Amino acid sequence: MATCAVYTTPSLHSCSITIPAKTSSGFHRRQVIVFTSKRITERGGRRTSEVSCSAEEAKTVVIGLAADSGCGKSTFMRRLTSVFGGAAEPPKGGNPDSNTLISDTTTVICLDDYHSLDRTGRKEKGVTALDPRANNFDLMFEQVKALKHGVAVDKPIYNHVTGLLDPPELIRPPKILVIEGLHPMFDPRVRQLLDFSIYLDISNEVKFAWKIQRDMAERGHSLESIKASIEARKPDFDAYIDPQKQHADAVIEVLPTQLIPGDNEGKVLRVRLIMKEGLQHFSPVYLFDEGSTISWIPCGRKLTCSYPGINFAYGPDTYYSNEVSVLEMDGQFDRLDELIYVESHLSNLSTKFYGEVTQQLLKHSDFPGSNNGTGLFQTIVGLKIRDLYEQIVAERAAAVAEAAKV
Amino acid sequence: MQAVTMATTACGVRLSTQGAVFVKAELVRPRQTHARLLLPLLDHGVRRPRRTVLVANAQSTPPDISERVSESIKKAEEACAEDAVAGECAAAWDEVEELSAAASHARDKLKADSDPLENYCKDNPETDECRTYDN
Repeated sequence: MATCAVYTTPSLHSCSITIPAKTSSGFHRRQVIVFTSKRITERGGRRTSEVSCSAEEAKTVVIGLAADSGCGKSTFMRRLTSVFGGAAEPPKGGNPDSNTLISDTTTVICLDDYHSLDRTGRKEKGVTALDPRANNFDLMFEQVKALKHGVAVDKPIYNHVTGLLDPPELIRPPKILVIEGLHPMFDPRVRQLLDFSIYLDISNEVKFAWKIQRDMAERGHSLESIKASIEARKPDFDAYIDPQKQHADAVIEVLPTQLIPGDNEGKVLRVRLIMKEGLQHFSPVYLFDEGSTISWIPCGRKLTCSYPGINFAYGPDTYYSNEVSVLEMDGQFDRLDELIYVESHLSNLSTKFYGEVTQQLLKHSDFPGSNNGTGLFQTIVGLKIRDLYEQIVAERAAAVAEAAKV
Repeated sequence: MQAVTMATTACGVRLSTQGAVFVKAELVRPRQTHARLLLPLLDHGVRRPRRTVLVANAQSTPPDISERVSESIKKAEEACAEDAVAGECAAAWDEVEELSAAASHARDKLKADSDPLENYCKDNPETDECRTYDN
């Protein structure tokens, strides 16, 4: 009989495994019969309670995504959930300002919900949201662990409009849990729970250009205020958020292009996908020959590109004393045939059919970054995560079969 | 007289008949030239086609969030001008950043929600109006 390890806290005393109601995702579902038996043993003052469940362990795959500026990584999220099938929507019937996104297979939690101080509290203490003092890492660890082991939780809601902490909402354990926010890899305990982690590293110039595009139309904002806002947050960002990139399994680095000298518009981008080597369920994407150093310009006789063209590079490297492989793209796609041409030359993409990357990019051609490396690498990472998920599920199924035999 | 050019990009355009804002609308051609200088308030009793006042709010942020953003910017500038504690200044600009992000999300949401047919079809794809045929 498979044993479910359930993290017990004074507030959680029972094991419950809930299965989402919609079954249109095509994943094989089995009825889970929960048999709970409580044995409370006291050892040296610590109370432990064991819960045994029959049938499969409903364990979730947890992905962490780190980047700046709240939960504005929704483009990445939408691409990711699209790879798994289905659109991610805020929970129906709940708080309209909820930050959570739910689809058939995936639930995305915004880590801003674990703020221990609301906006007024932070102002009083003179602390930014980037500061760990403004976040409740104990609760974050507790709830992510509970969800990972198949226990539903009541997660608080941080309302970005009012700046207050709203009453909690119920989150049921999904197949894939994505935690996105400023500090997914900050706390070592939470880091241990992650099956895969991604860091979105936007360089200062590109960040500035994007924020200008976003805020200039806003009444009240000016170039100076945007600049001041970035400058004021920089110390906390460099101290608390940036160091997380050394722990990430994949880093998507966005830099200004090298193809257009003196470009500061941030429209054409140079994007680098830095992938950690030696991970169990993740095999890095490569170009032509794994482990070698390649520089590739696809535009030539077979493919004509318009200005400024596309440049690719691939090679091994070290990143914060980790062995990595780096795949880099500079420039932008203009046409469908450029996309498919590039895709046909990349290897280890974990696609299920030829042209899947192109199809995913075209499906969401209205999303920002769909014509450059950001969209391409986000899609590729999404496919890699799907592959990782399937490997983990297969492993677990094999383990259960083994246990049943014995 | 303020002239607001209609934004050529896909911006939300609000039609409002505000008394205080008098805008030369490209769609409606005013008949009397001298009347352009008069505020609509003075038009009471005079038979004239009602003017359509177009206020092109670029990217149409909901007004309450827009208010909060401008307020927070003012507060942040004050907080940093005094140069009280570095923490307060950073916290104030962090608030500006948070609100600007919320405003940007609200804009995107408005754009996404702008087509009622799309919204209906998202929830009811099997109805006749929403059926799509791939081949």
